[in-house]
Amino acid sequence: MSKVERKYVVPGDFIAEGDFVPVSNAYSIGNKVYAMRVGLCELEGNKVKVIPLSGPYVPKPDDVVVGVVTDVSAFAWTVDINSFFPAFLPASGVYGRRFTPEKDDLRSKFDVGDTIIALVAAFDRSKDPMLSVSGPRLGLAPRGDVVKIEPVKVPRLIGRRGSMSKMIEEASGCKIIIGQNGYIIVSGPPEGAALAAEAIHMVEDLAHTSGLTERIEKFLAERLGLTEAAPAAEREPVAASPPADTSSEPSADAPNEEDSTEEN
Amino acid sequence: MNLIDENGLRIDGRKLDELRPVKIEVGVLKNADGSAYIEWGKNKIFAAVHGPKECHPKHIAMADRAVLKCRYHMAPFSVPDRKAPAPSRREIELSKVIREALTPALILEEYPRTAIEIYVEILTSDGGSRAASITAAAAALADAGITMRDMVVSVAAGKAQDKLILDLCDEEDKEGQVDLPVAYMPNMDQVTLLQMDGHLTREEFETAFNMAKEACKKVYQIQREAVISRYFGGSTPKSKEA
Amino acid sequence: MSTSYRKALFVDNLRREQMLEEYSRGRRADGRGLSEYRELKIQPGTMIKANGSATVDLGFTRVVAGVKVSVGTPFPDTPDEGIIMVGAEVLPIASAYAEPGPPDEDSIELARVVDRGVRESHMIDLSQMVIEAGKKVYSIFVDVAIVNVDGNLLDATSYAVVAALVNTKFKKMTLKEDQVVELEELSPLPIQAIPVSITTSKVGDFLLSDATTEEEAIQEARLTFAISDGKACAAQKGGQGSFSPEQVLKVLDLAMMKSPEIEAKIREAVGFAKEGSSP
Repeated sequence: MSKVERKYVVPGDFIAEGDFVPVSNAYSIGNKVYAMRVGLCELEGNKVKVIPLSGPYVPKPDDVVVGVVTDVSAFAWTVDINSFFPAFLPASGVYGRRFTPEKDDLRSKFDVGDTIIALVAAFDRSKDPMLSVSGPRLGLAPRGDVVKIEPVKVPRLIGRRGSMSKMIEEASGCKIIIGQNGYIIVSGPPEGAALAAEAIHMVEDLAHTSGLTERIEKFLAERLGLTEAAPAAEREPVAASPPADTSSEPSADAPNEEDSTEEN
Repeated sequence: MNLIDENGLRIDGRKLDELRPVKIEVGVLKNADGSAYIEWGKNKIFAAVHGPKECHPKHIAMADRAVLKCRYHMAPFSVPDRKAPAPSRREIELSKVIREALTPALILEEYPRTAIEIYVEILTSDGGSRAASITAAAAALADAGITMRDMVVSVAAGKAQDKLILDLCDEEDKEGQVDLPVAYMPNMDQVTLLQMDGHLTREEFETAFNMAKEACKKVYQIQREAVISRYFGGSTPKSKEA
Repeated sequence: MSTSYRKALFVDNLRREQMLEEYSRGRRADGRGLSEYRELKIQPGTMIKANGSATVDLGFTRVVAGVKVSVGTPFPDTPDEGIIMVGAEVLPIASAYAEPGPPDEDSIELARVVDRGVRESHMIDLSQMVIEAGKKVYSIFVDVAIVNVDGNLLDATSYAVVAALVNTKFKKMTLKEDQVVELEELSPLPIQAIPVSITTSKVGDFLLSDATTEEEAIQEARLTFAISDGKACAAQKGGQGSFSPEQVLKVLDLAMMKSPEIEAKIREAVGFAKEGSSP
């Protein structure tokens, strides 16, 4: 196992010279590798990665995203997915090929202002991202708060095999649905939701530090300690509070189970 | 006005090749995707980046890269005689040269069909505002997470009373003989902005140009630290007398 | 707001490769060497309604400069100096890409860079352009109409402005018993220097002088120096690319090397010989 080094870099910083391959957010001129963004530089063997600390959400096919419907036309919904283009959810994807605007009123399905959980079906920089809600746990989002964080921090929030988000879920008694685009749905009792939101923002602020898991653990434990007097029911896991109106059953899940240091 | 006294000191007490104090804070504007605030001598300047975002109007979007938009604007109270808010010819030219100073550093091909907007607001102007603007704008672009091949830094050199000087303040800019702003990518060793007015022999030009370039490397250290320290315990301003 | 979007000539990749191939052999599409200027024709006095004028053809680039001298009030910080202002406009007739309307950022940059070359060289002794100190001075307006674009507007405009100023004749004013009176005879402007603008374009590893529209379409950046009396008096880098520090000095050397030949052409065209040389 080669040693993984971490170092803070800004664009243009020289990282390594020799037989190195820039894998993400780095580039090479000749045999010299330079950083392309502000972030943490990781050298694993001869692979050079820069984990960015800020930046826009760039949609990738198969990403699960949380979006807000901002417009409805006769043929599609326009969805804000926190990227530099609005995304589209075609009506035919929901109603099927037989869909006709006269018969099928899109607004009865998803209306402006609704939050949905969708999959990025296609995106290739020459067209706007296309979404799909065909699949388990996709569709209208459960009632809850939408917490927004920087997309580059999402892997940290998910944690190793989903451990970080599970920890926050258990402590807050809320269900947490994480979109790769940095939009997160927290649904559950208000106090739990507030605690979860605080913990989520704390992960966001300290994403680049080490020992984060322990700090969050400590923070949650302290907070729960303070609310010893609260009724036991409020601290039970979420199975007790199903969403009021969903056509499908979304659930908290990390779309990927990778290491917490996976970059965008 | 005597710009350089008998001891070789300038009106603000600096030596001929001394920079003014530079202070940069990154990530200061919550509503911007990237931002920086710079105090350079008496200059006070904000730089903000919005984007990448949808390009409007759509017909100017480019299929293979982002469109860069840049605006240099002075607040009416930034100079002794109130400056009218409407863009002056000087501001229009500066918006262009600043955009062209930053473009070589940006990898715009990463964001086709989008626009990246850079806004520079001069709240107080005291000579060298374009150099400070470029330095702050590059920090804001990095803060926004935009892919860049290098940072960009800028410093102006000049001449007063027949002596070559570095980093002109307002009086030196107005009463001096030469103003030579230079913008530079420190790792790529490339000049992205060069302007000059005044009188310089070939040798003087080379000396002044090198003086500005070396000063860019010094300011780069301040800029780099400001960008990194944004993630180390909050956005505390890093102050350094260069 | 300055925008990088630019409506301009589009050069396809094959053509670009072909052009670069030629440069490596020291030749350009029109047969010139890399640092060779196109044919420069300067005709002074073409616009009879102006106090001074000149039409310049640099290859197919054609610009017309006209000078109007009038009376104005001095700027508050220079009460004992006349005023000179340079304006420029790329007319819609000049190019398929030029649109009618107020001057765009390119025209403004063009005017300001040419203005700086004239001003910083002290071409006109503005201290002699005063009627009544602090109250009345001469305002010299130089406006340039760009009539056909084929590259290197910066140099062509500068040559036209310089030639038009040398060509200028105006009726001086004097104070006679507190009244401003116009004299009958025509006087020239007090000319002290002839600044020469030299623009160099960077295309790949090559430095080209006096680029055409097609060459500008593939250039990464350009660097203009105004040279007067062996000194650099103005400089402006433009374009979305960059120069290495060594290239900057190379471009300056090239400008200093080329300026005497262009200066001689301008002097000859306007009949303004150098002091100490035969006309």
